[in-house]
Amino acid sequence: MKASIRSGLVIGWRQLFESLLSPGFYIMLSVGLALGSVLVAGFTGSIGSSGFDPQASPLYDLISRSLSGAFGSTFVEKLFAEGPFLFALVAAFLPVSVYLAIASVFRFAQERSAGAVELLVYGPADGTSYILAAFLKDLILSAVSLAFIAAAFAVEAALTNLLLGPLFLWALAALFLLSASFFAYGLLCSIVVVSSSSAIALFLGISLVFSLVFAGSFTIVGAPVRTLSSTAAAFLSWISPFFYAGMIFRGVQAGSQGAVLAGLLLLAFLSALLVLAGRLIIDAKGVRA
Amino acid sequence: MIRTRGLVKRYGAFTAVNGIDLNIPRGEIYGFLGPNGAGKTSTIMMLLGITPPTAGEIHLFGERYSPRRLDLRRRIGVVPEKHPRGVWHWMSAAEYLRLFADIFEVPRPNERIGMLLEKVDLAAFQKRRIRDFSRGMLQKLSIIRALLADPDILFLDEPISGLDPLGIKQVRDLILSENREGRTIFISSHQLSEMEKICDRVAIISRGRLIAEDAMERILSRISSDREIRVELETVPAALPARVKGLPFVRDAAAEGTVLTVKIPREGDFRKPLAEFLISQGLVALSLAEKALSLEEAFITITQENVVELAERGRE
Repeated sequence: MKASIRSGLVIGWRQLFESLLSPGFYIMLSVGLALGSVLVAGFTGSIGSSGFDPQASPLYDLISRSLSGAFGSTFVEKLFAEGPFLFALVAAFLPVSVYLAIASVFRFAQERSAGAVELLVYGPADGTSYILAAFLKDLILSAVSLAFIAAAFAVEAALTNLLLGPLFLWALAALFLLSASFFAYGLLCSIVVVSSSSAIALFLGISLVFSLVFAGSFTIVGAPVRTLSSTAAAFLSWISPFFYAGMIFRGVQAGSQGAVLAGLLLLAFLSALLVLAGRLIIDAKGVRA
Repeated sequence: MIRTRGLVKRYGAFTAVNGIDLNIPRGEIYGFLGPNGAGKTSTIMMLLGITPPTAGEIHLFGERYSPRRLDLRRRIGVVPEKHPRGVWHWMSAAEYLRLFADIFEVPRPNERIGMLLEKVDLAAFQKRRIRDFSRGMLQKLSIIRALLADPDILFLDEPISGLDPLGIKQVRDLILSENREGRTIFISSHQLSEMEKICDRVAIISRGRLIAEDAMERILSRISSDREIRVELETVPAALPARVKGLPFVRDAAAEGTVLTVKIPREGDFRKPLAEFLISQGLVALSLAEKALSLEEAFITITQENVVELAERGRE
């Protein structure tokens, strides 16, 4: 095995071990699971004789109004037509994935400025090893989190006689790849800038821009805003993980397996591209802060 | 073991290293000196493969070296000046060493770690967390980490910086013992008196150029055209310096209090004729010693000369 990849696996294993020892991951996973359970319970509480009625629950009333404002009512109707678990899955996974991404950005920048990355690469390791280690660690923790959340929801579905929904499995795959691309963006941010606070600010800024463009692509708004949003989307959509996530969502809605697979593959490709860009930048810049 | 030809590193318009040629044979303790900003770190970073040179070649173990040659990097042990303990502070010494042993694929890692910890008297502390280590213990731990893969070359950056006298002696003894085992040692330091004690050869770099590279005594003799004899007398008559200056081998003489300082040429032993002259003047020498130029003085002289030379070249 190539020395740098082997070293990356050793460092990644160590980082995974450290993450599993720290309470942060468990806290965020518990928060996610609790949030998911509350959402599922709220959904079941809103089911009346005529089916699901968001207005029957103050929580869902607020959620559906907020989501309709951001993504449009059609999106919300389609989302809740799948039952509670699709939305609860996204909501439960969000705190864990955001925590993992920010923790990695912070850690990479901090270790780089402390000289730890440099110390590691004095041996048979290089920048690639370190990027690979951080990325693999995040992927494994992300997969573990999704597996936990899916298992918890499967139990809850069995207890409440609800179905997980046809989109649930696709959503698991899409969320995994979506988080992977955000992890890759996070690593790229920590490579491009030096301090951990700047790296986090840059990462949050990029995520916010992608979120706004994504929301803009769903919302029915006035012409000037739509023009601005579509112009921004034309530039940003192809580098935004949300664009491909939207492609998967629409593909599932339309029953087009080709579009779903294309979306999944493109998300994976985007992540690989970002990791490669990170590697090239760190090779050119060096590991010194 | 280490050979460079025309090594250059530029950062934009700034040239940090300007055509350095090094040749370090196997088993040597090589001191790399230079004032801050001289290009020392840039040179070391290129030698370690952390940054690629802008121009020039590096050969390690007879092979062309580049940052991508991880196989060659495995044969180098590095002890950096700063120990990033904040990142690994929660680990025990043994866990920390195990991480690096795994990266370097050290065979029978636990045995090797135990043996090295024993060697530096840290075996009793292997389960103690790094955050509880003193500066000296950390430095020894850092050296052990660098030795894990049994490297052929050991790079040390300011290895005794911040250590107490006992720590300095322990690290010095460790360096000398590793060298006796056949390891080539490359030390970059500002602790010139210490370098003087342990280095076989030193290189002095200033403004990105190698301005001296030789055995310690040869560098010292090359830069000092005169030597000094200091004589402590009971009393120094006012006319004595002038009379001493009249001696054929004396370049200059001056008195301060009861000490007479006499400058003599670089070659030859003039202590006896000087002592005979003083006796002939009815004076009793309480002590008479030749003062050797220290590496520190040589370093200052050489680097200042270089700065002056460059400044003059700039004016031209």
